[in-house]
Amino acid sequence: MRDLIRLLRLYAPYRAWVLAGVALGLLTVLANFALLALSGWFLAATGVAGLAGYAAQNVFNFFTPAAGVRFFATLRVLARYAGRLVDHEATFRLLARLRMVAYAGLEPLAPVGLAGERGGDLLSRLVADIDRLGDFFLRVVSPFVIAAAAALVMALGFAIVSPAAGLLLLLGLTIAGIAVPLASLGLGRNPARAAVAVQVQLRADLVDSVQGMAELLTCNASGAMAARVDAASVALLAAQRRLAAIAGFGAAAILLASGLTMLAMLPLAGTLAAAHRIAGPVIALLALGAMAAFEAVAPLPAAFQLLGGMAESARRVFDLLDRPPPVAEPASSPPRPARLDLRLDGVSLRYPGAAHAALAGIDLAIAEGEHVTILGRSGAGKTSLFNLLLRFAPPAAGSATLGGVDLATIRGDDLRSLFTVVSQTTAIFAGTLRDNLLLARPDADDAALWRALETARLADFVSTRPGGLDSLVGEAGAKLSGGEARRLSLARAALRATPFLLLDEPTEGLDPLTEAEFRRALAGLAAGRTVIAITHRLDHLADDDRVVMLEQGRIVADGRFGALRRGEGPVARLSRLREMSRHF
Amino acid sequence: MTAPSNEASATPPRRALDRRLIAAGQGARRWLGLAIGLGLAAGLAVIAQALLLAHVVTALIFRHEAAAALALPLASLAGLLLLRAALSFAAERAAHHAAAAVKLSLRRTMLDHLFALGPAYAAGERSADLAATLLDGVEALEPYLARYLPQMALVALVPLAILAAIFPVDWISFLVLLVTGPIIPVFMVFVGYRAEAINRRQWRELLTMSARFLDAVQGITTLRLFGRARDEIALIGRIADEYRRATMAGLRIAFLTSAVLEFFASLSIALVAVLFGARLLHGHIGFFPAFFVLLLVPEFFLPLRGLATHYHARMTALAAAGRIFDVLDTPPATTWGDAVPPSGPLSLRCAGLTIAHEPGQTVLHGIDCAFPAGTLTAIVGRSGAGKSTLAAALLGFVAPHSGAVLVNDDTALTALDREAWWAQLAYVPQTPRVFAGTIAANLRLARPEADDAALREALRRARLLDEIDRLPAGIETSIGDGGAGLSGGQVQRLALARAFLRDARLLILDEATAHLDLETEAEIAAAIADLARGRTAILIAHRLATVRRADRILVLEGGRLAESGTHDELLARGGAYAALLGAAEAPCAT
Repeated sequence: MRDLIRLLRLYAPYRAWVLAGVALGLLTVLANFALLALSGWFLAATGVAGLAGYAAQNVFNFFTPAAGVRFFATLRVLARYAGRLVDHEATFRLLARLRMVAYAGLEPLAPVGLAGERGGDLLSRLVADIDRLGDFFLRVVSPFVIAAAAALVMALGFAIVSPAAGLLLLLGLTIAGIAVPLASLGLGRNPARAAVAVQVQLRADLVDSVQGMAELLTCNASGAMAARVDAASVALLAAQRRLAAIAGFGAAAILLASGLTMLAMLPLAGTLAAAHRIAGPVIALLALGAMAAFEAVAPLPAAFQLLGGMAESARRVFDLLDRPPPVAEPASSPPRPARLDLRLDGVSLRYPGAAHAALAGIDLAIAEGEHVTILGRSGAGKTSLFNLLLRFAPPAAGSATLGGVDLATIRGDDLRSLFTVVSQTTAIFAGTLRDNLLLARPDADDAALWRALETARLADFVSTRPGGLDSLVGEAGAKLSGGEARRLSLARAALRATPFLLLDEPTEGLDPLTEAEFRRALAGLAAGRTVIAITHRLDHLADDDRVVMLEQGRIVADGRFGALRRGEGPVARLSRLREMSRHF
Repeated sequence: MTAPSNEASATPPRRALDRRLIAAGQGARRWLGLAIGLGLAAGLAVIAQALLLAHVVTALIFRHEAAAALALPLASLAGLLLLRAALSFAAERAAHHAAAAVKLSLRRTMLDHLFALGPAYAAGERSADLAATLLDGVEALEPYLARYLPQMALVALVPLAILAAIFPVDWISFLVLLVTGPIIPVFMVFVGYRAEAINRRQWRELLTMSARFLDAVQGITTLRLFGRARDEIALIGRIADEYRRATMAGLRIAFLTSAVLEFFASLSIALVAVLFGARLLHGHIGFFPAFFVLLLVPEFFLPLRGLATHYHARMTALAAAGRIFDVLDTPPATTWGDAVPPSGPLSLRCAGLTIAHEPGQTVLHGIDCAFPAGTLTAIVGRSGAGKSTLAAALLGFVAPHSGAVLVNDDTALTALDREAWWAQLAYVPQTPRVFAGTIAANLRLARPEADDAALREALRRARLLDEIDRLPAGIETSIGDGGAGLSGGQVQRLALARAFLRDARLLILDEATAHLDLETEAEIAAAIADLARGRTAILIAHRLATVRRADRILVLEGGRLAESGTHDELLARGGAYAALLGAAEAPCAT
């Protein structure tokens, strides 16, 4: 609930829109109520006057109530139309604000602070949650506020006629709008939980069926899987049947509550009229008004339904945004040092909640212009080393300096402007090739873009595309092959003339010839820069390359590949393993 | 309201879609009919209720009867209310049954059909979408079938019943409703087309916007690396603004449609009330008929308003139905016979095998090659050369455009019974699937009757047993979706253990390309060598390190067989194979 209040606070800049939407919604409900109540009274009053003879007919003010009926009829339509426009306007603005706030909150967390136990679907869950919360105002806040305000106004209106009538209406509205939805929500809690559990299993089985189809078929197990899916499907329907029954029961109960309120209003009004406490035509007003009043609480069952899920979504979003940023940012950066030599002294790194240190006691010096290959199994700490250099994660101990300046004193964006990373996970965004290239250097002109494509050996490919630089890639556009996507990230790197080039296994998964092309393109980029390359393979290493090997977060070898290969250390062991696997 | 809803007659293809959807569920038509019947009965109860209510109110106001004297009509009113509640409850149940029947049957049929279409259709890029359609797409049909469709029928039926009830009471009100009622559908036909198109575009753009935001969130690290993440925040705001402006322009028109609808409804109430007021004042008509009609007028327009509320449910459902029927309407590419595979050693041969995924897009061109019984044949080539397609052809997942795959030189693969053919082989795909369940259940896919000892033996031979034994629950550990994660190397070996367990005459193995460190790679290579021994083995090799031991190597280039021979022969020739090998082992240029 606290999260929802926090969410409401985000609405502050759009207060006017939100209030206008609620006011118009309230006006719609009240106009409808007034239209029917007035119509009922009007008919009864004209009927009474008509029976009372000529004199009464003449004194009867026909035009004011008749105009009132037309007024409320028109008001209802206009208020509803304006209300829907304002509601949607507000919803779009709120969703945009929510996205911007969330993105601003995520930015300092990426990538280290976003790694979580929930893994890859964390971000898509987040986006789905934000989408859901975008409707919080329209489908939850607004119905509750309107219902509460309308109920009070209508009950007060009745209470002016008779306090008992006002109380009766308020009671009926409370039962239909709050008690019944809450009861059905409570009754539905267990079947809803069961439905979610079955759905999770069904989803897993269906994804398994589609993505593991080759294995299921060749194991002659597709029949068994189909039976399993069918059983889960039946179980899901059973849970949904119970939920539908509860929902149907709730709808019927609301119908009954509103009907009975009106029904109870009749003898009450009759008694009041008999005691001359109210005029006869007011009976019709109370009867029709009581009927129309329930329009105000009609959206509440759905709002109650959504409330739980919204609170969950808000909690997940704020939990993520409340994570402390992994690194503290200094206000400004010192001037760029003259020589960009990297030096790590006794550096260790531990991720929050991790059992082991990712890096421990690292001593490493890399001179400007040097080319170094970092070797190690997965989990040995290679990527952590990059996270450290890019200031995505702070060292827990030791010092990391660049040209003698402590990395922690440099603003992250300033530091990262010295680095270019080429990896297999570089994101390609839906949009044009040009958009994707300009990310790397927004002010680059077309000539620079083509030069970069040339360097990445992608120029031929782009020039054969009908759209050239404006060809669409990603989601809506053509798919790039694995090799093309990697070379696009190379072209981005070529646009950034940064002193450092970090390579994170950029050729993983490419076939040998494609990889060779990529490597030739890379060679043009590497000249004159400090290059740090991560790999777990020994192919493509020359004897005089400098190699640093990591094992469980520690440096176990540092030297020339040739010497290490011929020695007795871990690099030599790895090298023999490679020979063995070739000749098994 | 003589015409059925405008929307049904306006778009014939959707009608066909409705018919197909309803026909898909057994008994769905009857349940839906029942739901509509119950809804209509509830509508009639509303008319009866109005009659009684008008009677009671008339008695109270004009005959000054005491409330106690009206006990019978009041009790009847309460009874009617109970009846209405019961009818609404029953209608809801019936509609749910109709939707349930359709959902169950469509999910079943679609999955069966996907299994018939095979991985060539279902795997790859499309797979996530198909899984989502099977679950969420089918679920999205519920609100459409259970709410929108019955509501559509009631839109035509309930107002007609109300008109029929009003006609004998007051012909002037009858005329008012007769005129304003049909104006609504007629108007909606004119404006509705436009509004529908706008709505559909909005709906699509809303999804695109959401996808665009997801794109930015998933690429947040890349943006940070380029120092562009802050700019992205402003960009998100700007795009949302542009979208909002464009959308609101459309919505102003779309909402106008329903505003007009509301206008007629409100105007009719006001008109009926004012016309009655004038006649009542002059004593031309009694209060009872006037009040009775006034009670019914809002009910006359109620079903129409109900339709509008299910609009988005309908858009989602129709999109999902379209995707479902797209799958069901795709004929399987491969045909199978009923012949039983020959017993004894198994050899395979491709004779002029040509495969085209689409006409004009040939992936394999006239491949002639043999896979002799009991030998290990490796297939190499760069990505896109057709290696995996060749494997798919041998498995029977894709059909030859011309030429054939022959089993033991005499039987065409397509003449065999498909289940019987697969029973002969073990297949290890490039990215093996870890199914949700225990390790034991994952292994038993290959042989359901295997006992624990057999599972352990297979794990041992796949060089995975030690690692599994270290897990707290051993082979009963849950893996896959919602279970413990296995490393890439462990998944590979799990798949090899399945193949050991299968113990088939023919082994088709698509080697992994993903991240494996050298230690794991060596273990897997040794396990594969064990597995291939004594079988007809076909290895799609992505790592050239593992092909040297093959009895024969086939080199594919652009869908053609470039050369074949042993490692030494091919190396000596200095052709395509030598080039691949050279590229793989050249020292790094950086």
